[in-house]
Amino acid sequence: MPKIGVYVCHCGENIAGAVNIEEVMNYAKTLPDVVLVKNYLFMCSDPGQDIIKQDIKEGKVDRVVVAACTPRTHEPIFRDALESAGLNRYFLEMANIRDQDSWAHWHDKSGATEKAKRLIRSAVAKVTFAEPLEDRYGDMEKSVMVIGGGVAGMFAALDLANMGLKVYLVERQPSIGGMMIKLDKTFPTMDCSACILTPKMVEVAQHPNIELINYAEVDAVKGYVGNFEITVKKKARYIDWDKCTGCGVCTQICPARVPNEYNYNMDQRRAAYIEFPQAVPKKAVIDRPNCLYFKSMEKTGKPACQICEKGIPPKGIQGCPADAIKFDDKDEYINLKVGSVIITTGYKVMDKSHFKEYSPHSKDVVTAMEFERILSATGPTEGELKRPSDGTKPKTIAMISCVGSRDERYHSYCSKVCCMYMLKHARILKEKYPDIKLYLFFIDVRTAGKDFEEFYVYTRELGVKVIRGGRVSSVDVKPNGKLRVRGFDVDLCSPVELEADMVVLATAIEPATGTEELGRLFAATCGREGFLREVHTKLYPVETASKGVFLAGCVQGPKDIPESIAQSRAAASAAAALVIPGKIKFEAIIAEVDREKCSSCGVCVPLCPYGAIKLQEYKGKEKAYIEPALCAGCGVCASACPSMAITFHGFTTEQILAQIDALAEA
Amino acid sequence: MEEGGVNVIDLTQADESFVKELEALGADELRECIQCGKCGATCPMALAGLEFFIKRIVHAANLGLRDILLEDSSVWGCQSCNRCVEICPMDIKPYEVIQAIRRAAMKVESCPANTYEGLRNLYRFGHAVYPKGYEERRKKVGLPDKPPTVISNDEMRKKFQEILRNTILEEIAPFPLD
Repeated sequence: MPKIGVYVCHCGENIAGAVNIEEVMNYAKTLPDVVLVKNYLFMCSDPGQDIIKQDIKEGKVDRVVVAACTPRTHEPIFRDALESAGLNRYFLEMANIRDQDSWAHWHDKSGATEKAKRLIRSAVAKVTFAEPLEDRYGDMEKSVMVIGGGVAGMFAALDLANMGLKVYLVERQPSIGGMMIKLDKTFPTMDCSACILTPKMVEVAQHPNIELINYAEVDAVKGYVGNFEITVKKKARYIDWDKCTGCGVCTQICPARVPNEYNYNMDQRRAAYIEFPQAVPKKAVIDRPNCLYFKSMEKTGKPACQICEKGIPPKGIQGCPADAIKFDDKDEYINLKVGSVIITTGYKVMDKSHFKEYSPHSKDVVTAMEFERILSATGPTEGELKRPSDGTKPKTIAMISCVGSRDERYHSYCSKVCCMYMLKHARILKEKYPDIKLYLFFIDVRTAGKDFEEFYVYTRELGVKVIRGGRVSSVDVKPNGKLRVRGFDVDLCSPVELEADMVVLATAIEPATGTEELGRLFAATCGREGFLREVHTKLYPVETASKGVFLAGCVQGPKDIPESIAQSRAAASAAAALVIPGKIKFEAIIAEVDREKCSSCGVCVPLCPYGAIKLQEYKGKEKAYIEPALCAGCGVCASACPSMAITFHGFTTEQILAQIDALAEA
Repeated sequence: MEEGGVNVIDLTQADESFVKELEALGADELRECIQCGKCGATCPMALAGLEFFIKRIVHAANLGLRDILLEDSSVWGCQSCNRCVEICPMDIKPYEVIQAIRRAAMKVESCPANTYEGLRNLYRFGHAVYPKGYEERRKKVGLPDKPPTVISNDEMRKKFQEILRNTILEEIAPFPLD
């Protein structure tokens, strides 16, 4: 016969304010096998836990029901209390008489009291059949993969590498650097973005513990936390990076000109190219779909161009001096074993083409990211401010915020960084060209952040015109080539318009292409807007739904550089805390197949959201087998099994039925 | 401005030199205004229902909307109560913006007619408000017919006028300073 102790928590006034504690206690004493009932103001406090521990140590109780709050936050605490007093930690049941009772029925005190009795009755019934369970441990691969070589990925990789862990940093582009390297300056400090980032890029590339895998993507994922087996596809570069010195000869003599995506197609690169001047590693790649050699080989079987390799001898032009051109290069697949993964694949900015009301066909209407490149010394105009249509210097520029953000047709969220980078652009321009006229149209000016408001006021002092309540309704191209901008100024309480030479659209930050697919490979889920979702916004901001897979930076949602770095270092710390001990604990609450009972129907296999179930040979037949390390304890398989061959430990059929009976009792 | 019967303010007419002029005329913290609206919530003119009240005036000043500000008579309705100055969280001294706009308006003779009358009275009598026939009423209650100011002291009045002639009034007064 079990000896059940029931401990009723007041949770200050949270429970006691609606539930009659004394009445509930008197009732609990009448329940079968309950040997004692105690109460306390805060059961989770140290003295509260001591009451339970003392009773266990003195042999008074050997099963515990805590009638308090939610097991989601407090079960681990009470389990630890049981364990420290020498009792199996799974001989605990919590009756949630706060969230599901006192809070929900605050104005019905007698109803809440009756419900508390039922919930306790049901918990007592369940704990009667509790079985002792043991947590298990598995081996942990002491390495981490960071996916995405932007500022977030780089900082995560560096922190992990400095802790002595092996890090694989996988980047889709030929160079690391991500979006930050494309920015001209960064708010609120006005640091030159490339100047502060390139030393970090070099540090990443030279770190002995970091293996940089550029121009590569994750292709397939097997395994689970502690033992991920990841296949990475290294895209064919058609240039041997062991030989390439980054001299750039091929990028100058290649005759195939292609829109340069690095500068948002505002200038051209060659088919053989180095992504940008400060690229790390500084290596060239050949863009196969645009390369004349490959185009002609596919059409005629004969090479029309091998200039990068051989040069143009009659003109005395030499080809690659390092003999690095490798037309027969192939995609390469490598398999890597890691204990944990951090996803930092960032974002992309929305294209202007969606916004017909803003004349997206006009070259003088640009997105803020394009404008960033126009301002950058490595951009299409080498940092000189020029109107894209005719190369003249604009005298009046209008900037429009919330383009695609705070807009139910596109993205309901605020992209968070636009207000500040619009002010940053304004400041860069005003400091360079004091006479330029700048009109910034905001719905609200959102400058929450350290030193941000001061930045805003300073920018206003430079003479930048701020129009609030002013998402522009239209941008039209006038016959003289200028842009007519129409908006509303809530401070003037009037419709306004102006004639601008250029219009900059602060288009929304959105998830990078392939975010959802990448998440799916790791069983990490996305939120409604397509960003990877953290487990809990406040308490678990870097964890994904998939154990051992962490996230950081804009892949989780719009954020600025300081926030991205803070989150990436938090993710690195969380991954290290998991990986460094070398062992991983698996909860005992998992499902197990009784293979004698299993009918081999296989219905459980596709149902498992974690891919933990497979059919395995057992006594000459295919039977279901659940990999304990992968099982997350959701219970789907156990409820679906027609032969009742699956035991869900901690929630056995016997326990659930006892619980239901107790609840249903009059 | 007028387009199809709808008033649209053309920001292209905004003139940065007007902002600079106002700064030079005493509104030197003007640009720091973040349009929080606190002044508008205390301004008696706004409370009285005047549409073009202090918050909007400061914003229009910041945009450099010279014509709108000089054509509208709202700044002359300010009661100089200074509540806005005491309450402004950015310390831009909104009343100083009003004063600066008045100064700018005076320079281009863009003020309501009664403004000039007040100014002329000030120059002539030392009082901006000088209702006729008040001497009789003063006598009735046992006061001297003129108050003990420059108005009752010719010598001091001349000195006072001399001081005024040494101000910008000499240039801008639309009446003879004799």
